[in-house]
Amino acid sequence: MNRKIGVYICECGPNIAEKIDIDKVIEAVTSLNDIVTVERYKLLCSEAGKNYLTEQIKKHSLTHLVVAACSPRDHQLTFMEVCENAKINPYLFQLANIREQCAWVTDNKEEATKKAIRLTKAAIARVRCHSPLEKKEIESNPDILIIGGGIAGIEASLQLAHSNRKIYLVEKNSFLGGLIKNFEKKYPEMQPCSASILQKIETIKKISNIKIFTDSEVQEILGFFGNFEVKVKNKKEKDIESFNVGAVVFATGSSLFDINKNPQYGYGKFDNVLTSLEFEQMNLSKKIVLKNNKTPKSVAIIYCVGRTDKGYCSEICCMYSIKFVRYLKDNIPDIKIVNFYSDLCIPGKSHQKFYEQTQGENIDFIRAENIDITKKGEQLNISYDDETNRKKNCIVDMVILSPALEPSVDAAKLAEFTGVPLGDGDFFAEEHEKLNPVSTSTQGVFIAGCAQGPKSISDTIIQAEAVTGKILSSLIPGKKIEPEVKVSQISESFCIGCKTCLDICSYGAITFDEMNKISVVNEVICRGCGNCVAACPSGAITLKHFTFNQIYEELKEAVQ
Amino acid sequence: MNKSAETSEKKGAVLPIKTSIQDSIKDLLKNGIDHCVFDAVMIPLRVPAGDSFSYVLIKNKSLLNDAFPLPPTMSVQGAKAVSSVTRLGNRNMKIAAVMRPCEIRATIELTKLDQTDLENIILISMDCPGTMPILDMVNEPEKTMTLFNDATKSWDDTQMRPVCQICDKSSMVAGDLHIGTLGTDKKSFFIIPNSTKGKDILEKLKLPLTDSIDSWNKKVKENSEKKLKKRQEVHSDLKNKIGDLTNLLDIFSQCINCHNCMRVCPICSCRLCYFDSNKVKHSSEEYLQRAKDKGSIRILPDTTLFHMGRMMHMSLSCVSCGSCEDACPMSIPVAQIFSMVADETQRLFDYVAGRCLEEPLPLRTYKEDELHEVEDVHG
Repeated sequence: MNRKIGVYICECGPNIAEKIDIDKVIEAVTSLNDIVTVERYKLLCSEAGKNYLTEQIKKHSLTHLVVAACSPRDHQLTFMEVCENAKINPYLFQLANIREQCAWVTDNKEEATKKAIRLTKAAIARVRCHSPLEKKEIESNPDILIIGGGIAGIEASLQLAHSNRKIYLVEKNSFLGGLIKNFEKKYPEMQPCSASILQKIETIKKISNIKIFTDSEVQEILGFFGNFEVKVKNKKEKDIESFNVGAVVFATGSSLFDINKNPQYGYGKFDNVLTSLEFEQMNLSKKIVLKNNKTPKSVAIIYCVGRTDKGYCSEICCMYSIKFVRYLKDNIPDIKIVNFYSDLCIPGKSHQKFYEQTQGENIDFIRAENIDITKKGEQLNISYDDETNRKKNCIVDMVILSPALEPSVDAAKLAEFTGVPLGDGDFFAEEHEKLNPVSTSTQGVFIAGCAQGPKSISDTIIQAEAVTGKILSSLIPGKKIEPEVKVSQISESFCIGCKTCLDICSYGAITFDEMNKISVVNEVICRGCGNCVAACPSGAITLKHFTFNQIYEELKEAVQ
Repeated sequence: MNKSAETSEKKGAVLPIKTSIQDSIKDLLKNGIDHCVFDAVMIPLRVPAGDSFSYVLIKNKSLLNDAFPLPPTMSVQGAKAVSSVTRLGNRNMKIAAVMRPCEIRATIELTKLDQTDLENIILISMDCPGTMPILDMVNEPEKTMTLFNDATKSWDDTQMRPVCQICDKSSMVAGDLHIGTLGTDKKSFFIIPNSTKGKDILEKLKLPLTDSIDSWNKKVKENSEKKLKKRQEVHSDLKNKIGDLTNLLDIFSQCINCHNCMRVCPICSCRLCYFDSNKVKHSSEEYLQRAKDKGSIRILPDTTLFHMGRMMHMSLSCVSCGSCEDACPMSIPVAQIFSMVADETQRLFDYVAGRCLEEPLPLRTYKEDELHEVEDVHG
């Protein structure tokens, strides 16, 4: 192929022009093979700059373009677009970063210029090895699978149902509503909770484009963003239904830490030691009583149960425990309540006020460690170390334990067959804690609510809405999907069939062809991370646009 | 299969040696075919010219008479033979593969990379007195046969390949059944199971596991300790000899780039070696540039790089079988160098190549907490 490479050096205002001797860079690369023209320009990313580049490409009939300017994070796509408009394949372009990597890292103009020359030469060497890559488009399915019928799943279903697409809501229990169905009120405003969720459930049942599966579990999710094939099994009737969706939401929620792992609290051994969930249910039934049906005169609430075992703070236990104080005071005004905490977590604009307003007569907050519960007659004796490390005792009628939240048991199963990774605390890992908190590393699979980590009802709703936004803006009916172009390729003749790449791929993009004993990449699912390329022991995998040759030629110039 | 060098099995069966140990093993194999515990046997046979051995797959049991369960030389590493027969799957035929312990260990390494299908394979090993250099057999077949037979009886390894003289795993049990000749009265031998598959076979052959194998274990331990000491001495000498880059370059400077070592290596399972690929075929400009950079450049280039690349690639799975050294026309002590490097890399991961199928390949396991000593070096 007869290459005609044009090299354009951006002054980036004073950013590059003042720190690098651009003329020297021009001089150093002008005589290289295949170089047709080398020019400098004030600001290539400006409208004028883009027009200038387009004209230059046409004028010199360039086949390849090299721009020495800023970080690819800033303007890689800008210049690729220029290429596309000027009718050269956007992958026959290379950007040399001489601003962040040269101009901005030193005051030494000579050194900066030397490095700029190397990087520009490296970009030229690399672009010579580039091959044109073609974009592909595939049809997308706008429907959505939501796994988990708690508040996250219900909220997401309701939001998405307005957009005129089919929603499949799968719940493992025989009822919707999840944990919060048991909560009489929610903090801090103490508004009805259970009643409002029941109302939402009624609404959701009436919406015709939401199909609800109860007593069901998802058995298989195959495919990719815009086109997942799903199998749902009804656990009672044992029948399996298959359908296609374009996106999946994991809203599998959480469950309580198993208190039997902390026998010092006497749970299961002594009467009147309850978990927070059991207390919510007791409160909802309007019968806060002891085992002997008498009204308790004193209650201890123990916070942070299992926090050390889990290694994280569950965020909401302090607040709901304070809510319990309200429940108790509302029902039994003269009751004595002792709160044993290790650290209080009450962030947010209204939570501090809620806490302060909850304090009062017969309500103690004690910072305690080494809590141990024993039976004393009909009552329960709590021994603990106070803040000054002194051993103390407290006798109460009832104990409520506020245990840590952990992922629901279904999370691990789901993670295993979908390849969506689990992160801290074995909750589903978000793609990026701050930048992409509801996406996962699998495109088209989102997480909402406690499936991602312990969170309050309001945060759960925020996430459900965020997921809705993400889905509505990316999965548009009729709009085709453009899969990644820079994908892995496995050479049929070099693959030894060792399956190393199958374990490495976190996108589930590689399958095994049992007939030919080789691995095969599904180009639509592959995200081009390159992990399989590095892991392949027999050098059978290459990543398009990051081929061995391209990297080698680039490196050779960069380290010359 | 277990993780230690000694088998966890405390009992075995003792069988009498009628004419010779080789014949007794063949009888056992025939018995296996008669009882349908396996359909075929993969075992070495002497080639018609008489100067080498080759693995053959025997269905007809009368042909077993000519087999050599323990031939003096190793012309094809058994792991390569098992891989070529079963790599594409082996559903229908139960095959007993009779091999040296190092061949079985290489088979296990290949299995971890899915290069074999062991489901219907019964791996049978035996105490290995060592292997003679492949060329001895070619040059003087009869003398080599006699020397080997004598050495097998006296357990004298001085005629064996250098890498066999420092092999401390010559009785390592990694397959399904092991034939023990150490620690016996020379009139009998042990048969020791090392897997459920192995036990089932012995049961079907009505060989009850009632005999103690303590004397075998004791002798194996003694032998292996002695060999290990020698191995460490030899490795330490070798390290002094090739410890720095100049000496390393010197020792590989004799290499003629034939890549025989790679071709015979059971672990080298890449379809195309990087060092045979286009990736190392350079333009004349590149050669000139390199010559300019360094003053001059050897043609063909990258000789030492080939060995170091191969070392990086396979040393974690190297079983020190010595095939590479046997195949080297320039008598470079490749196997000894590789065995030294392999011992060190494998120790780094508390890994012994081929010790057991359940031990995952270190490069396929990710542990957050490891190799801090490497991090320290690189800050």
